[in-house]
Amino acid sequence: MLEIKDVQSFYGEALVLNGVTMNVKPGEVVALLGRNGMGKTTLIRSIMCLAQPQVRAGSIKWNGEELLGLKPHGVAQRKIALVPQGRRLFPSLTVTEHLTMIKPTSVKEGWTAEKIFDMFPRLAERRSHRGNQLSGGERQMLAVGRALMIDPEVVLMDEPSEGLAPVMVQHLETIIAELGKTGLGILLVEQNLYSALAVCDRVYVMETGRIVHEASAAEVRTDHSSLMKYLVVQ
Amino acid sequence: MGGLNLIQLLNGLTFASLLFIVASGFTLIFGLLRIVNLAHGALYLFGGYIGYTVAGSTGNFFLGVLASMLCVALMGLLLDEGLLRFVRGFDLRQVLLTLGVAFVLNDLALVLWGGDTFSVPIPEMLRGATTIGGVFYPKYRIFVLLLGVAVFAALWLMLNRTRLGALIRAGVDDAEMVEAMGINIRRVFLATFMLGASLAGLGGVVGGAFLTLYPTADSEILVFSLAVVIIGGRGSLVGAAVGSLLVGLLNTIGQVMFPELAYFVIFGPMAAILAFRPLGLFGRAV
Ligand SMILES: Nc1ncnc2c1ncn2[C@@H]1O[C@H](COP(=O)(O)OP(=O)(O)OP(=O)(O)O)[C@@H](O)[C@H]1O
Ligand SMILES: [Mg+2]
Repeated sequence: MLEIKDVQSFYGEALVLNGVTMNVKPGEVVALLGRNGMGKTTLIRSIMCLAQPQVRAGSIKWNGEELLGLKPHGVAQRKIALVPQGRRLFPSLTVTEHLTMIKPTSVKEGWTAEKIFDMFPRLAERRSHRGNQLSGGERQMLAVGRALMIDPEVVLMDEPSEGLAPVMVQHLETIIAELGKTGLGILLVEQNLYSALAVCDRVYVMETGRIVHEASAAEVRTDHSSLMKYLVVQ
Repeated sequence: MGGLNLIQLLNGLTFASLLFIVASGFTLIFGLLRIVNLAHGALYLFGGYIGYTVAGSTGNFFLGVLASMLCVALMGLLLDEGLLRFVRGFDLRQVLLTLGVAFVLNDLALVLWGGDTFSVPIPEMLRGATTIGGVFYPKYRIFVLLLGVAVFAALWLMLNRTRLGALIRAGVDDAEMVEAMGINIRRVFLATFMLGASLAGLGGVVGGAFLTLYPTADSEILVFSLAVVIIGGRGSLVGAAVGSLLVGLLNTIGQVMFPELAYFVIFGPMAAILAFRPLGLFGRAV
């Protein structure tokens, strides 16, 4: 279980997260909604302990253990995976190398490149292409596949649907729903409420560095009028 | 003034080969760690002196090469873990630190080996000359040429066919993401730094046998390596190879045809390339 409590994060002297508290239970798909610039990516980066932002207060616990102070690879080794905003694939690596750099091909436990290719046949066809030769949808699939290679217990997905065609967004929703059913916890950052509702169990809404609303997906499905003022009108 | 003859062309190529050995280490470190290691020339010189001492006392050139590569790799380890770790993330401080280390190492070399000119003894079987393309040419220089090709092939295979190579290339692209994928990028950085340093050591011994070793040899090779990496593009192995060939040949052309403009013949084209391709021929923005 991922427990985030009263987290304050800074870029330099700029306070961007001002006391964020939320949690993701095992196997739960949780959506984090909010408009541009509200601090969603900052929260994801704080959880991964990346060099920026600087977390100056609060705690981020994973199964009871404090993550703050770890290096990002330490966070990932505790089975917290990242699908970053903008994919951030490696232009000079082939599709296969994106997967095998994380886990040698000799390891057969958990996710392997072949299992990822079974799940995303489109990637299998392009296995020797480089990261920058893929379409937007293929890039996102690879970003998800790459994250799975660490055999995560929770995946942080930062706006995976950004810039995708509607049919790809639907495909992605199917995949997220399927992964959720396998018992994988997912923290899904989204701007689109309906896309999030299609897959998630619970919803948090972030507004200028704070969580301003929390609800179960069921509640939001019956009445989301109270949320709409925080979200972009689609 | 006159055209290049075959011997001069071969001289240019062997110099290019040596440059490649030294500059490939330089570009690996620059590309992955984003450190312009101005101590690279000093590591070359130190490697040369160590090779000279070991090869001289054991009578075995290849033992000299091995000792030099190991010692210089160790110096790389000390430089990275002992000093550079304190200025990580501060580009300018890193560069200044390596410059300081270059001065210290140069002085240390002066204390240990003095200011004389040395030449690493060449192994028996590489002495003398042989005919190539109808001209008489030193065997040792042909060995240097082949060694450069072998180093290129080995590095290419390492970078493109091994997992460590994939990690290095991914790190050149986006080190933060490699780290976020559960890989301790510091270890990859350190391995690369030691590998790059050991290549400077290799270059020192190999170059010390035909260019000789003297107290300013470090800054000379450093300037050439910088030119190679600027022309070829940071972090690119192919760029380093092409850059070495260009600089090696231009250097020979300059010396043969325009002796009074020898440096301009190298740095003029370098400036021209930079004007049109600021990232070098094979460089990529990050
Ligand atoms: N590296 C940085 N340095 C300084 N300020 C930053 C940095 N990155 C983000 N910010 C600021 O922090 C705030 C939150 O940014 P963040 O990227 O977390 O927003 P977001 O919710 O992910 O937005 P989006 O939906 O556009 O991705 C913004 O005001 C942004 O300008
Ligand atoms: Mg964001």
